[in-house]
Amino acid sequence: MKALKLDPRTKLFMIFAVSFIVMVNAVTPLEWAVRIAVTAIPILLLAAEGRYASAIRFTVCYGAALALMRFWLSAESTGVFSAILVGYCGIVVQFMPAMIMAWYVIRTTKIGEFMSAMQKMHIPDGISISLAVVMRFFPTIKEEYAYINDAMRMRGISFGGGRYTKMIEYRLVPLMFSCLNIGEELSAAAVTRGLGAPVKRTGTVQLRIGAADIAVTGFFAASVMLFVFAKYIR
Amino acid sequence: MIELNHVTFRYKGISEGGVYDLSLKIRGGEVVLLCGASGCGKTTAARLINGLIPHYYKGELTGSVTVNGRDIAQTELYDLAGVVGTVFQNPRSQFFAVDTDGEITFGAENIGMPPKEILARKNAVAGAMQIEKLLGRSIFGLSGGEKQIIACASVSVLSPDIIVLDEPSSNLDCEAIEKLKDIVAQWKSQGKTIVIAEHRLYFLRELADRMLILENGRITKELNAEEIKKLTNADTENLGLRPMTLPEIHGSHQNTDIQGDVLLLEDFRFTYKDGKHGINIPRLELPANRIIAITGHNGAGKSTLARNICGLERKCRGTLTMNGKKLKAKARLRHCYMIMQDVNHQLFTESVRDEVMLSMTDKSLNDQQKADAILAQLDLTEYADKHPMALSGGQKQRTAIASGIASSKPILIFDEPTSGLDLAHMKQVSDQLKKLRDMGKTVIVVTHDHELIRSCCDHIVRLENGCAAENCPLGE
Repeated sequence: MKALKLDPRTKLFMIFAVSFIVMVNAVTPLEWAVRIAVTAIPILLLAAEGRYASAIRFTVCYGAALALMRFWLSAESTGVFSAILVGYCGIVVQFMPAMIMAWYVIRTTKIGEFMSAMQKMHIPDGISISLAVVMRFFPTIKEEYAYINDAMRMRGISFGGGRYTKMIEYRLVPLMFSCLNIGEELSAAAVTRGLGAPVKRTGTVQLRIGAADIAVTGFFAASVMLFVFAKYIR
Repeated sequence: MIELNHVTFRYKGISEGGVYDLSLKIRGGEVVLLCGASGCGKTTAARLINGLIPHYYKGELTGSVTVNGRDIAQTELYDLAGVVGTVFQNPRSQFFAVDTDGEITFGAENIGMPPKEILARKNAVAGAMQIEKLLGRSIFGLSGGEKQIIACASVSVLSPDIIVLDEPSSNLDCEAIEKLKDIVAQWKSQGKTIVIAEHRLYFLRELADRMLILENGRITKELNAEEIKKLTNADTENLGLRPMTLPEIHGSHQNTDIQGDVLLLEDFRFTYKDGKHGINIPRLELPANRIIAITGHNGAGKSTLARNICGLERKCRGTLTMNGKKLKAKARLRHCYMIMQDVNHQLFTESVRDEVMLSMTDKSLNDQQKADAILAQLDLTEYADKHPMALSGGQKQRTAIASGIASSKPILIFDEPTSGLDLAHMKQVSDQLKKLRDMGKTVIVVTHDHELIRSCCDHIVRLENGCAAENCPLGE
């Protein structure tokens, strides 16, 4: 399981399929069955990346949310408490699976692979480079954010002295300054290495569609078709 | 090969760091060292050669720069990519890819080289630099030294005739600097023209053919290879430069018993998620109210130890005993203050004075007076109302120190406070550390700057693979 390697195109399709199925409103048991089956994939991917604790935690939260929605909440529920519960269930059931997929894709895709995949799909270099920069920046933002958080804990201002606006301001302002600085130095380094040359970029990464890609793509294509059929055609 | 003809450049909106009427000829195959205090214009000179000026950094430019017969102002940056390669100061912000292979091939892919040739070149470069074991790794898991070597490899793949290095050693330890020296020597033997802007000079002593000293944007002194080798430490001191030899650091093994109060660290064990890096220190006694240097190679656990002393790692079970009190991680957060390597991470407010007041724990009416007194101690009075982000690097660092003093915590920890600093600024930091000691603080400095250790530290802890290999007062 550890050596699972998917083509970036398969991964993009996975994000699309998972997001579609979990975010569109499901009503009938068949739709729910498809949705739950599809949610199992992000959980397996978490496990494949060695995040067993997160996989178990999410499974428990997901199970709890499903149970809540099935037995306690209905369209008629009122009151603040049930509003919070509805919010919780919505986030866990409808957003988290897609978030986990996005996390997995960013974590496991190398920039070179991504660029080659975009080239094979005939996406213009400008668009794929911008997307690649965004991908490149996620780990950087995470690193910078961790440092800022440390600094705030050390000064005892993690909660902004009790004011929410300060709590956010103290985090975002230094984060923006660091990201601006890093971004500027990063693009200076990139242009000295020929980024933006008016020639066709080449890629050294050879992409191959493997058995896992076909299986995963087949599974998601079937799920999407079944879901669409259940929802709109039947 | 490179010719600067009466070049004057001023950055837009910044008065510092420009160059004035700079004329310079560099022959093919020469290794030229540009040095001088911060803001003397050496980085600007490097940027004039690699084309970032005028194409990326904007400002007023007169005069002409010709590289390999091309007029830089008329040549697009991507056309220069195969001619001039650049290694930058900060390993954190010069990587485009997230894996080492992708990074090394990035430049060649950009200029549309055929994939087969790129791979052949990548393997040749990896072989020549002996970095096969770094291939196929994530950039975020590399040490600073390893990152800088990958940066050199990614320049080498394009095989440019000219290589510019802008303060490449700032974040490196001695071992990594040796490796960098080998790479520069290799480039020199291949006949490349090399221009290096640097503060730390000792590793280039044997390699530099010429040394240019800049002051306020003008070349004030020029030395040839013979003269460079003859430079003594007294000469470099007079020129305001860092020494040409690496000062030796010795621990004294005579009186290892600590005089006065003791900080006792017990059970400091911590491992990162990768299972490899971490620290394992069952017991360590440090003298209170002294300046303690923590040294060791990149990746030996220096920063990890500092973070654990500070209480930033919740999982660490270790305790610190001082004045008869045993402090766990959470309590240590209230007794320690760290000045981070990148101080931008710890400046939160809109003015220097607010920054200091934010740290004051006992909220009394005369806070502002106290804040101003602290600012005066650190020569920050005139900047009290300025935004911290508008200050220079050294001023930001002093602002962070000021809020550390304001927090009245007894232990101050510095993470690499002198990386990338020139002689004068290094001395300034050293003076501040001494001042803090005189105030009764215990100062812990994580550093691989031997010159800083020599100038102010009392005690040294050397780490090796996460263990304390040496812990003793600093000898002569």
